Amino acid sequence: MGRYLLRRLGFGLLLVFVVSSAALLLTRLAPGDIAAPQCLELSAEKCAELRASLGLNRPFLPQYLSWLGGVIRFDFGRSLLYSRPVGSLLGERALNTAVLAIFALLAATLIGIPLGIYTGTRAGIMRSIVRAISLIGISVPPLIGSLALVFLAARTGWLPVGGMTSSGGLELTWAAWFADLARHVPLPALALAIPMAATLERLQSEAIASASHEPFVAASRARGVDRSRSILHHAWPVSLRPVLGLYGVMIGSLFSGSFVVEVVTSWPGLGRLMFDALKARDLFLVAGCAATGAFFLAAGTLLSDLLLAYTDPRVTTGESR
Amino acid sequence: MNRQPRALLSVLLIGVIALMGWLWWRSAQSDQDDATQIVVNEVSTRGGTLVSSLRSEPRTFNRIVLPSVPTDLYSILTSSKLVRVNRATQEVEPALAESWTISPDNKTYTLKLRDGVTWSDGVPFTSADVVFSFQAIYDARTESALNEVLRIGGKPFVLTAPDARTVVINLPGTSGAGIGILDNVTVAAKHKHEAALKAGKFKGELAVDTPPADLLSIGPFKLTSYSPGQRLVFDRNPRYWKKDAAGTPLPYLDQVILEIVPDQNAELVRLQSGQLDTLQQQIRPEDIATLRPLEQQGKLRVIELGVAADADAFFFNLRSPYWAKDPRRDWIMRKEFRQAISHAIDREAFANTVFLGAGVPIWGPVTPGNKQWFNPNVPRRGYSLDRAKEILAGLGLTNRDADEWLEDARGTEAHFSLLAYRGNSSLERGAAILRDELKKIGIKVDVVLLEQGALLDRLFSSNFDSIMFVFNATNLDPAMNPDFWLSSGAAHAWNRLQKIPATDWEKEIDDLMGTVMTNVDPAERKRAFDQVQMIFAEHLPMLYFVAPRLYMGVNARVGGLSASILRPQLLWNVDQMTVKGSR
Repeated sequence: MGRYLLRRLGFGLLLVFVVSSAALLLTRLAPGDIAAPQCLELSAEKCAELRASLGLNRPFLPQYLSWLGGVIRFDFGRSLLYSRPVGSLLGERALNTAVLAIFALLAATLIGIPLGIYTGTRAGIMRSIVRAISLIGISVPPLIGSLALVFLAARTGWLPVGGMTSSGGLELTWAAWFADLARHVPLPALALAIPMAATLERLQSEAIASASHEPFVAASRARGVDRSRSILHHAWPVSLRPVLGLYGVMIGSLFSGSFVVEVVTSWPGLGRLMFDALKARDLFLVAGCAATGAFFLAAGTLLSDLLLAYTDPRVTTGESR
Repeated sequence: MNRQPRALLSVLLIGVIALMGWLWWRSAQSDQDDATQIVVNEVSTRGGTLVSSLRSEPRTFNRIVLPSVPTDLYSILTSSKLVRVNRATQEVEPALAESWTISPDNKTYTLKLRDGVTWSDGVPFTSADVVFSFQAIYDARTESALNEVLRIGGKPFVLTAPDARTVVINLPGTSGAGIGILDNVTVAAKHKHEAALKAGKFKGELAVDTPPADLLSIGPFKLTSYSPGQRLVFDRNPRYWKKDAAGTPLPYLDQVILEIVPDQNAELVRLQSGQLDTLQQQIRPEDIATLRPLEQQGKLRVIELGVAADADAFFFNLRSPYWAKDPRRDWIMRKEFRQAISHAIDREAFANTVFLGAGVPIWGPVTPGNKQWFNPNVPRRGYSLDRAKEILAGLGLTNRDADEWLEDARGTEAHFSLLAYRGNSSLERGAAILRDELKKIGIKVDVVLLEQGALLDRLFSSNFDSIMFVFNATNLDPAMNPDFWLSSGAAHAWNRLQKIPATDWEKEIDDLMGTVMTNVDPAERKRAFDQVQMIFAEHLPMLYFVAPRLYMGVNARVGGLSASILRPQLLWNVDQMTVKGSR
């Protein structure tokens, strides 16, 4: 188990290193830089001075090596866009994204898994309805989904249409602040959760349908175990393997790829930070965001592998291969 | 076999549920509509919170270092100017300087500062602060964007402070903009920032991570909190110096909140739902129709500000070396080619398609929105495909083969690429119209949409055939936009930063702009600038087609509005804005 964990950790570190380095290189290679809008109003000399003062005239290799040296000391450099250390920006935004991701994941699990078990083990009109809805859920891109939810919230007034807290949130007590946060979370969390829940439903449905036909499930039924108990205690644990495998990817994408939902719903998270950094060509901030996204992807994959190992011990020893 | 009826039944059931939901929602909406009656223009005189939007985060709070939309807005809320150009009337008004005299040679301004003005920490504002602010601007280590603006002939102003309330500004030459040039100056507190300036670290002052308590204000509000990615909250500055005509201390509002909303669609939805009182900038033409129902219900007002001062511009690369080895060089840099394009564009159709009718045809960079400087007599090369084809034939461009495109005598096809800024809907649509309209006269246009940084990179390196872009005016006086007009300017986009004027007509414009920038006689300045516009219209280094009409959406609870076509269209006058009721 120890060697397995070490191997996974090594893979995670390699992923973070490769992704952040590639992000830095690609952003550097892309045409234009953060000084471009200002240079539109400056003479060539002043523009060159500005670029020099921002360190944009340095050759890539020394710039990359000094950034890498900083990263080893957990110093991700300074954001040119916000004039702040990248580390502190990542910290506060990752926390906001974590709040959103946890709620989205929870909602997706609570909706997708039970519905998947239901549709995988039942027949009838309700099954068809759920399958049709999940097909819509899986087909609607997050952009459209979040815009539709924002529109619905605006027309009904049931939920705030954006932001993480209300304007007066700063003067609230902790309890009131939390309640305010709880009102803001559902909209972006649902926008993220709906396609994930639909995916989980479909995967869980197929997996449990297949597991239900295994001989040990039939044997349990023959022993007199009732149908529901047989499905939950015998078929479901077996069907979890492909479902848990999906969680690693979902966690990674929630932390690194939810920028569309974050932009539309004005949620101050990592995705939006990455979007702003890319637009402004803020080199170190792009690399920092990419590193954080890769870290969460690696962490998510590790977590799902551990869960798999818990449900199927052959995973750690490689027996299942 | 039984799957199909079941699927059909499922779809029907979903449809029925959706219909029932819709009917229930409609009935809930009509109940809600009856319950909400907002009376337009009935506003309280004091108190309340105004919530506006901000599309991007501030990079610094130091406007001396970096004027930008968020920093300008921060400055309007927390700072005051020595003199202010009223954005609605374009008149110069007293501000921190309550009066001034100008020497007979127009080179010395003597400002009398207002008595009893203090910073938000209680320290008096004096002439030393003004002198210090100019020192900060001119210090090379500050890298101030204002450093080049506040010079005449490349030389800085010289300031002295004979006493605490008097500032004498000696100009190295006369300024056409007059005392209004000081509208650009943001004052800084000497007692707070002097040590940083001496240490060469003024550039890092007023950074966005400065604790709000350390940020001084001499404006109507002071920043009390900044939540990155979320909002900036400003509370009333009780030490603000300004009072209204009745002697009531300003501002009327208790609080201003700027919500950071990066997405324009989300911004509009928040305005519609009442979570925002107004927006950072004008609404898009396509959004006006969605706000009309709310306007009819009395919840919102859609205010027409007038014709915008700036419009989308189309220009060719007029730098000769770029075309030196290109077979198109014989005709693509000719003014007749650009004149033919002007004739080929139906500006009415352009206005209808790009701005959904909310635009007026224009013939040069100065729009009718700039009432003081607009020259209505510039030549107009209106829509005429026949005239366009005739001009092109004069350049040797005719259809010499079986395809639909024109060719020159050497067989080179009449085509060029057009770069436009991806994400700006009016530029994207404008580029598409241009492509379609020019196809009618046999000119092929390849539209390439680029993200802003990439487009600017191509502009700076002069690596483009043509570009469609918008240059935002920050001031209506052309003397304040020399970068655009002068051949040596950085925003002289068709041929930037020329050491000597590349053409006779650009030299002529340079000379006339010298008059506009240094002559103090308004009539002389206007005459010179009228001539500049005539030359521009003849040579068309940039083609302009339509200037949009500007509209702002405002919650009906907001009062005390004085709208301007310049940004920020409403908040420039925030100290006199009011709101009705609490949020």
